[in-house]
Amino acid sequence: MNQDVLIKLSGITKAFDGETVLDNMDLEIHDKEFVTLLGPSGCGKTTTLRIIGGFETPDAGDVFFDGERINDVPAYKRQVNTVFQRYALFPHLNVYDNVAFGLRLSHVPKAEIETRVKEMLEMTGLRGFEARKPSTLSGGQQQRVAIARALVNQPRVLLLDEPLGALDLKLRKDMQNELKRIQHATGITFIYVTHDQEEALSMSDTVVVMSRGKIQQIGTPTDIYNEPVNAFVADFIGESNILDGIMIADKQAKFAGQTFVCVDGGFEPNEPVDIVIRPEDVDVVPVEKGMLAGKVSSVTFKGDYYEIIVDIRGFKWMIETSDYVAPETTIGLSIDPDAIHVMKKSEYSGMFGDYSTFSEEMDHLSDPDAGQGAEEAAE
Amino acid sequence: MKVFSKIYLVLIFLLLYAPILVLIVFSFNEKGSFAAYTGVSLKWYRELFRDSTALDSLRNSLVLAVSSAAVATGIGTFAALGLDRMRLRWLKNSISAVTNIPMMNPDIVTGVSMMLLFVAVGGILQTDLTGFFSMLIAHITFSLPYVILSILPRFKQFDRSLREAAMDLGCTPAQSFFKIEFPHILPGIVTGFIMAFTLSLDDFVISHFVSSPDFVTLPLYIYNQTAHKVKYSMYALCTLIILAILVLLLLVNFVSGIGARGKRKKEIA
Repeated sequence: MNQDVLIKLSGITKAFDGETVLDNMDLEIHDKEFVTLLGPSGCGKTTTLRIIGGFETPDAGDVFFDGERINDVPAYKRQVNTVFQRYALFPHLNVYDNVAFGLRLSHVPKAEIETRVKEMLEMTGLRGFEARKPSTLSGGQQQRVAIARALVNQPRVLLLDEPLGALDLKLRKDMQNELKRIQHATGITFIYVTHDQEEALSMSDTVVVMSRGKIQQIGTPTDIYNEPVNAFVADFIGESNILDGIMIADKQAKFAGQTFVCVDGGFEPNEPVDIVIRPEDVDVVPVEKGMLAGKVSSVTFKGDYYEIIVDIRGFKWMIETSDYVAPETTIGLSIDPDAIHVMKKSEYSGMFGDYSTFSEEMDHLSDPDAGQGAEEAAE
Repeated sequence: MKVFSKIYLVLIFLLLYAPILVLIVFSFNEKGSFAAYTGVSLKWYRELFRDSTALDSLRNSLVLAVSSAAVATGIGTFAALGLDRMRLRWLKNSISAVTNIPMMNPDIVTGVSMMLLFVAVGGILQTDLTGFFSMLIAHITFSLPYVILSILPRFKQFDRSLREAAMDLGCTPAQSFFKIEFPHILPGIVTGFIMAFTLSLDDFVISHFVSSPDFVTLPLYIYNQTAHKVKYSMYALCTLIILAILVLLLLVNFVSGIGARGKRKKEIA
């Protein structure tokens, strides 16, 4: 596996105006891999991409490409192409000339340019748009031109900076599949930056979760979802109930006032830990059969499931269930041992997990509507 | 109300263009007089084209306008580029303010100060600097701010990520400037050139102070001709100048119109 490493970042540090954006970051990216850098805005993911692309120079640390240090190689000499967030198509050139731009610069023979551009326009579904100016295209079409313009150069690596951010939901889903297909077809390494966890999980081979300029976790989408390393990752990826707990012994976790059987081990006896339980892993059962009991404080219909908030000893749990339960009733909850994920305490412990603020948000959001309804009634 | 505003509009245009219309109409009058219109003729135009000093001054004017506009556009483009790339905001603002001074200054002040400068420097160098050289310098000076003002906004509108995209696709910084950024600012450069050209062509006040008898431009010549006794061929000349300026103005609007339309389309998309 190691000889496959195409890009290696080692000890990368970068600060803007004294504010550290990347803090001593190490990352290896393998050939032909679809890697997603995922994190909230300001976590340093775009800066990482720009360092690989050659648009920023790190303050400290080295960038290696195929084993060679490329810190001082300017952007125009790197075997990397970028799909920019706002597409950055050249407005005075038509679609064909935009796509042919890179090939013309590297003095590819004219006939070859023509076949390669044509092939690429075919692949991105842009046939017939050759003579159109970018300003006459829709967002999705511009996006395709940007992808075609980068891919036609057959780069070793394609960098994508939130390329679907400006598209609507339906188009975004289509383009996700499209990108995945293109990546398979071309075998080019994709490095994809997004803050959308769903996008990251559905497209990538490897997800790199970042926060505050540091990598929190690297893994496959299933690893990241099922085995988050800390409260930040657990909260950022999907919905999760994060509770304070104690590992009494291997496979025995105590939280919510009870001791549960779980599958994790390797902690000190009585070590304080964070416990993650995904909303879909909790079963609703009659009170007498439940491991825990609590009062339902809100129910939201979500289409294929109900999202309910349950108050258990002051902690608000989020639970997803296919069966309706009435608000204000008391229900029992049952949790399988393999649904309990135990994490070491981290700097993020205690920052996330409780859904009490969540329900307040919901109340707050529904208030203006109620006010408006009253006004309409008055009229 | 509507009728009133229409009458108002007609009055405004009448006041603005009546003098010019009178001039054009009488330039075709056969008899050299305002008292009577004896018939349409091209007599004064013929006389104008027989007048070699008038044609010389026309040539002087054109040579001066083209060369001063070319130099001002060159300097102005680089000045706008430099101002655009400047990082320090206070420095950028103060330099912009300084470059605008020749525009705000009354012409008479610029003219007198220029004359003093050329006389003083000429005295030191023991040569006479007045003539084409002094006129060129003066015309570059007063048209430069207009050139900068027409180019700088184009630089500001330029999407910086386009520069990165160009580099990403293999452009060196210089290539990226000429292939991507230059086509974007070109309409500004053209507008700037045309503005500098027209400003130079019709400048009288500053030229009056820095010229010498052996380099007379058209406005100076016309002034000399009309100062004592009206020469009717001058009406013909003015008519021709108005026509030329009109064509240029239409050109300027057309060029900047193309730029604005492109921008509007982008905003809609």
